[in-house]
Amino acid sequence: MRQAFRVGILYSTAGPYWAMGRDCRDGAELAIAEINDDASLPVSIEPVFGDPAGEPKRYLEEARAMLRDAGCRQIVGTITSLARKEVIPLVEKHDGLLWYVCNYEGFEANENVIYTGACPNQHLIPLFEQLLPGRGRRAYLLGANYVWGWEMNRLARELLAQSGGEVLGERYLPLEDTEVERIVADIEARRPDLVLNNLIGPSSYAFLKAFAALGARDPAFRPENCPVVSCDLTECELGEIGPSAVGQYSTASYFDSLDLPENRTFKQKVAGRFGASRRVSAFFEGAYTAVRTLAEAAAAAGTDDPVAVRSILHAGTYATPHGVLRIDPRTNHAALPFHLGRINADGGFDVVASRPAIAADPYLTGPRGSIDRPALRVVS
Amino acid sequence: MSRPPVFAGWRAVVLHRPDEGTDRLARQLSLLGLTACVQWSALDLAATPADLILVDADQGWDGLFPWEAGRTPVPIVALLQSEAPGRIAWALDQGATAVIAKPIAASAVYPALVLAAAVHAERRSNAARIGQLEERVRLRPLVHAAVRTIEDARGLDEAEAYRALRRTAMRRRLTLEQVAAEILAGVAPLPEVG
Repeated sequence: MRQAFRVGILYSTAGPYWAMGRDCRDGAELAIAEINDDASLPVSIEPVFGDPAGEPKRYLEEARAMLRDAGCRQIVGTITSLARKEVIPLVEKHDGLLWYVCNYEGFEANENVIYTGACPNQHLIPLFEQLLPGRGRRAYLLGANYVWGWEMNRLARELLAQSGGEVLGERYLPLEDTEVERIVADIEARRPDLVLNNLIGPSSYAFLKAFAALGARDPAFRPENCPVVSCDLTECELGEIGPSAVGQYSTASYFDSLDLPENRTFKQKVAGRFGASRRVSAFFEGAYTAVRTLAEAAAAAGTDDPVAVRSILHAGTYATPHGVLRIDPRTNHAALPFHLGRINADGGFDVVASRPAIAADPYLTGPRGSIDRPALRVVS
Repeated sequence: MSRPPVFAGWRAVVLHRPDEGTDRLARQLSLLGLTACVQWSALDLAATPADLILVDADQGWDGLFPWEAGRTPVPIVALLQSEAPGRIAWALDQGATAVIAKPIAASAVYPALVLAAAVHAERRSNAARIGQLEERVRLRPLVHAAVRTIEDARGLDEAEAYRALRRTAMRRRLTLEQVAAEILAGVAPLPEVG
C-alpha cells in the first residue's frame, strides 16, 4: 500500500510573472505524474493546487487553505520574496515546510524553508567576478521596485565600490511599468560598460526591447559593447521578449542547454509531456527537482512530517537534472553550480562559463568575491 | 545608506539557560559568522571575551555583568518574553539597544544585531564627543584669561587677541585650551602680532 502525501503547489500562472509561475507549476506536475506512475515508489503525491494570480494577499489565503483545511505539511511554491515572506509565518505556525526554488537576494535562513534557488554568493558575486575584469566596472543598475531589486543593487553597489568600479545610475520600476524610455535615454547619456538588470516581468521585457533599439542606433550599446546582465532571466521569458534579448547574459544553476547526461534524460521526459519544442527553464527544473526530492525524502522517512523530512534531506544527496543536490543542514540552502549563459537566437542560452557547486552563504559572511581591482597604470 | 556591519569573526556570549531557543539562536548566530557561547552564569570577560552579548532579560539579575549598569563596552541585545515594565527597564538599564522577542524566530536575530551594534556605536561616539566638549567647557576660563593677557600685552581688542591665540594653536597643532594654558604658565611666548 503506497502512502499518499498531500503537497501544496502554490504558483501564480496569471499576473505579471505568470511565465515563471507556469514553468514552476508545469515542472511540479511533471514530477508528480512521474512519482505517481512509478509503482516501485512507496509514496504517491496528491497535489493541492493554489493559483494566487500574483496577488500577495491571495498567497496567504491559498497557503492557509493548504495547511489548515487540506492538511498539507509541505508546500512547494512562491516566486517573489514578497510572496515568500507573506507565507512563511503561516508555514511556521503550522510547522510545515516551504520549498522555495527561485534565485533570491539572500539574508534569510528559516528552519521551515528549504531553499533550492541561488542566493547572491551563488549568482551575483560569481557573475561580477566573471564579467567585470573584462567588461569594465562602470555599471548602471536597474531593479524591480521591491526587496529583490533593492537588495541586489545595494550589494552590487558594495561590490563595485570594493573592486574600484562605479555606479553611473540606479533606477527602479514596478513589475508592470513598461515606461522605460527615460531610463534608456539616461543610459545613452551616461554610457556605462554594462547594465545590471534586476527588473522583473513586463518592465524587464520592455527595457530589453528598448535597449536593443538603442543598440541598433548606436553600436556602443550592442551586447558586445554594453551587455545587459541578469541573475534571474530564464528560457521561459525569452518568448515574451523576442529577438531583442539575443546576446545578453543571465546566470542560473540550470539551463536547458546544459550538456549533462542527467539533463538529456530529463529533457526527453519533458518532451514526452510538453512536446519537443518546450524549452526548460531553471524555474521548471527547480520545481520539478523540489517535488522529486521531497517525495524521495518523504519515502525514506516514511512520513511527510517536516522534521523527519528535513533531517533525511540534510543527510542525503539527490540526483537532479543539474547534477547532485545537497542541502546544507546549517542554512537549509542547496549548494548550486553557477552557469553564465548568453542568449542565443534559438530562444535558449549558450553556456559561456561555469563553476562547480558553491555552498550557499545567505548572510554573506565570507569574502564578498574576489573581483580583482583594475591594475594601476603608470601615467607619465 | 548606512552599511550594516559584517559580523563574521565576532564573539557572542548568550547569557541564558540553555534550551531549544538558545540552540536556535546559536545556529542563527553561526550562520551570521559569529561564534556563540551559551552560559547561565555571571559574565567574566577574561574567561569568555565577547564582542556582543545577548541576555535573558526575563531572568537576568543585577550583577550578571562585571561593569556598572549602562557602562557596557559591547552591544547588548535583550531576549525578552515578558511584557513586565520592570523587566524592560532592567534591559534598558543594562544598556540593551535591541530586543529579540521569545520564542526566538530566526528572522529576528540579524535585524536585532544590526540595530544593537549601530545604536551602541552611536552611543559610544556621542559619549566620546560629549566628553571632549565637557573638557573644553571646563577649560574655557583659561582661554578667556589667555585672551585678556594677549590684549593687555599687545594692545589688541578681544577679537584680535582671540584670533592671534587661534592662529598660534593652529600653527602648533594644539587645542586652543592647551596653548592658553601654556601662555598663562609662561611656558610659551605670547603670540606675535601681524
